[in-house]
Amino acid sequence: MRALSMSGALVLLLATTVAAAQAQTADQQLDALEARITRLEDLNAIERLQRAYGYFVDKGQWTQLSELFTDDATLEIGGKGLFLGKRRVLEYMQTAFGPDGAKEGLLANHMQFQPIPDISADGTRGWVRSRAFVMSNAGWGLPLYENEYRKEGGVWKISRLSGPFTMYTSWEGWGRNALNNTWPDKFEPAPDLPPSTVYLTYPAYYIVPFHYPNPVTGHAFVPDRGEVGAYHRPPGTADQQRALATGRLADGTQAIAEPPKD
Amino acid sequence: MRRIISGAALIGLSIAAVPAAAQSTQARINDYRERVERLEDADAVENLQAYFGFFFDKGLWGDTADLFADNASFEYGQRGVYVGKQRIARALLLFGPEGLAPGYLNTHMQLQPIITVAPDGRTAKGRFQGMVMLSRPGANGAWGVGIYENTYVKQGGIWKIASLHFYVTAMTDYDLGFMKSALPMDGPSALFPPDRPPSEAYRSFPAAYIPPFSYVHPVTGKSLEAIPQPADTLVGRK
Repeated sequence: MRALSMSGALVLLLATTVAAAQAQTADQQLDALEARITRLEDLNAIERLQRAYGYFVDKGQWTQLSELFTDDATLEIGGKGLFLGKRRVLEYMQTAFGPDGAKEGLLANHMQFQPIPDISADGTRGWVRSRAFVMSNAGWGLPLYENEYRKEGGVWKISRLSGPFTMYTSWEGWGRNALNNTWPDKFEPAPDLPPSTVYLTYPAYYIVPFHYPNPVTGHAFVPDRGEVGAYHRPPGTADQQRALATGRLADGTQAIAEPPKD
Repeated sequence: MRRIISGAALIGLSIAAVPAAAQSTQARINDYRERVERLEDADAVENLQAYFGFFFDKGLWGDTADLFADNASFEYGQRGVYVGKQRIARALLLFGPEGLAPGYLNTHMQLQPIITVAPDGRTAKGRFQGMVMLSRPGANGAWGVGIYENTYVKQGGIWKIASLHFYVTAMTDYDLGFMKSALPMDGPSALFPPDRPPSEAYRSFPAAYIPPFSYVHPVTGKSLEAIPQPADTLVGRK
């Protein structure tokens, strides 16, 4: 009966704030427990959703892939620009990469690794930062993802897919070969909106902002205004200094410009 | 004083005089226990497959075989199906000597898990992406990739592999890449033939094949069984 006498002593002796914290009913404790269990299930669910996306990409299951998205979802991959809505996601995939189905002579595996999932406090939105490692018949690729998910009617869906590229290369390897980032009119279809940011891929680099703060310090990531995406000129040269100052937005990225010329 | 009252109710619960309010508390506890157990099951299955990969990578065939249930099956590409723990332990020697040897690289990464645990928590299914890095004495290295579709069973509280099926998607010479090299799959061994022929006939890259999905569509809930396979005239698939 120690618990009873102790709680009695607490009620009598301690301030109301302390008493309130102590005086959780069984139902309140169960409510808190349920919220924690649901959060774990939600974290699993959005990771699973992202992996399912990857398996559909691998085999060209565009219809099923588009059904992973909310009706008002946005999709942006590489430098191609923004596609608005589930229907446009399907149109993008089928126009750019051919009709549904795995195709002879085509390998385009987008292996989904390294997810960092988070769920909003109210449990209705989620985010995953993860990467794809692309093994294709053309070579290797390294996209990142910073995606958003939404729970609709108890079901998690992709509400925003953002897939900036880090590096693409042929089978010669990245020591000898590096492909440019894509751009809006590189291939059909045209996007609904221009890219949300313009950046360069390897050997330049760009850091897509993190949806989470540093897990140890709690500090939010601040983009490097001076240098993000600007290594397309030799570091330390006057050329680079000029490039750093040319047409840059407040967050350090470059505004819409002419597409790269091969 | 609410805490004291509910504390008394909880004590009463264990004595069997169960008030209505406490009953629903017990129902909630039961529900949450189930949900936590399913989360633990999914974690255990994911880890089991990772254990498999770490043992298989290094040719620790005894440890690898011990992860399987007694009547389990093992199927790798078009090598056919080996049934039973003892048969599996020996079939693993097809991938190299026990503990491997100089010149061997047998890396089979276990990635991208989609685990589905049965509602009763006794069985589970898992799809994994298997990136492969191989080397054999006297041969050039190879890159590869494929998909696992496995089933698992919980026996005496311990998860074991009930069936492991690795579908090879593509294999290529390390230096050449898929534009210049497509290594075919091995067929059934003449030295230690399988118990059953391959359960599905397909070819790896440049041919295409979609390993059947063990899960329903995560958003629509619809079955993914009807997804059409690419045609293969030799196999007889239109």
